[in-house]
Amino acid sequence: MIHCESFRTRFGVNADDPAVLEHLRACDRCLDFAAQQDPDVMFRALGGAEMMPPGGVDAFVDDVMTQVRVRSAEDTVHARPEQHWARRLAIAATIAAGVTGAAFFYSSDSTITPAVSRPVAAVATKTFATKPVVESYESQNATIVEVPGEEAGNDDVKIVMIFDENLPADL
Amino acid sequence: MPADLRLMIPTTPNVEPDDRKLVETIRSGDADAFETLVRRKTTKVYALCYRIIGNAEDAKDISQLVFLKLWENLGKYDPQYTFDTWLYRMVTNVAIDFMRNKQSRENAVNSNLRLVRTAADAEQGVVVQRKEIENVFNDIANVLSPKQKTIFVMNQMEDLPSAQIAKILGCRESTVRNHLFNARKLMQEQLQKRYPEYAQLWRDK
Repeated sequence: MIHCESFRTRFGVNADDPAVLEHLRACDRCLDFAAQQDPDVMFRALGGAEMMPPGGVDAFVDDVMTQVRVRSAEDTVHARPEQHWARRLAIAATIAAGVTGAAFFYSSDSTITPAVSRPVAAVATKTFATKPVVESYESQNATIVEVPGEEAGNDDVKIVMIFDENLPADL
Repeated sequence: MPADLRLMIPTTPNVEPDDRKLVETIRSGDADAFETLVRRKTTKVYALCYRIIGNAEDAKDISQLVFLKLWENLGKYDPQYTFDTWLYRMVTNVAIDFMRNKQSRENAVNSNLRLVRTAADAEQGVVVQRKEIENVFNDIANVLSPKQKTIFVMNQMEDLPSAQIAKILGCRESTVRNHLFNARKLMQEQLQKRYPEYAQLWRDK
């Protein structure tokens, strides 16, 4: 930083000189001198740099980063319904395609053979045979509902319902 | 020192990445880099907010709001412009909005900050003291519009030239100079009215 004498010499020449302003903001005697010479510098003497928020910079930065993380988490949560929407659309499209295919299959089949002549049990067996059988299932995201058999005293689980977003749509 | 050894000395050791590089890193998903940016800009942002708003707690809240807006809008930053100019624009927009809302709420100049000078001070004449100047400024600058005050602060305290202020505020340089002229005039009138001892300094000017 420049000395007082140098400041007083240079002040009259260029009050905007960064070195002059630096001295003005640090030296009280020269501030008095400068204010008498040029009152405009009175508020200029305050300067703008190196001010700390209440509580200090570290606490301030921590607060900001906490809020940033909260907002990021909120954004992630808000973004999820769009994924659900896309997933639901995919499932709906799969179901629609399946129903249309089945309708087409049955309608074309019925022209050849009357429906009444088809053995119902055989059709049902054929349908189940194409599906994979889940013997055991583990997932942290799944909700598994077990429904016991209707007969009294029978502890065997008859129906198991698995709700899991990660399951393939056709299972 | 032999020339080959001299070549091995890094010419720019431990140089922190400049603002643009830091922004690129943040955009690539590095949240720690954002913390570095916040730490680097806190004092500047807070100081500008404090000077415009004149209240430490409000200035802190507004500074935090600025950084949250910065986080949300960092994707819009165009690296061909100076980062500080872009950041200052954000600060001034948020601070000016705050001041306008505050003014509409209060709708009156707070005159409770009138300073009391002792007889001893009066005998000694005007002895300029920094804390007192700060109080005087916070008191009389209330008569300025938020934009006038922002321009006055950026020019007089942040030492920004009118051309850069015009860039930050998105207006013409002549507009900045007009605001600055009017701000000074209003400040002098207020000083004359409420702090005649300081106004004497302007008497011969």
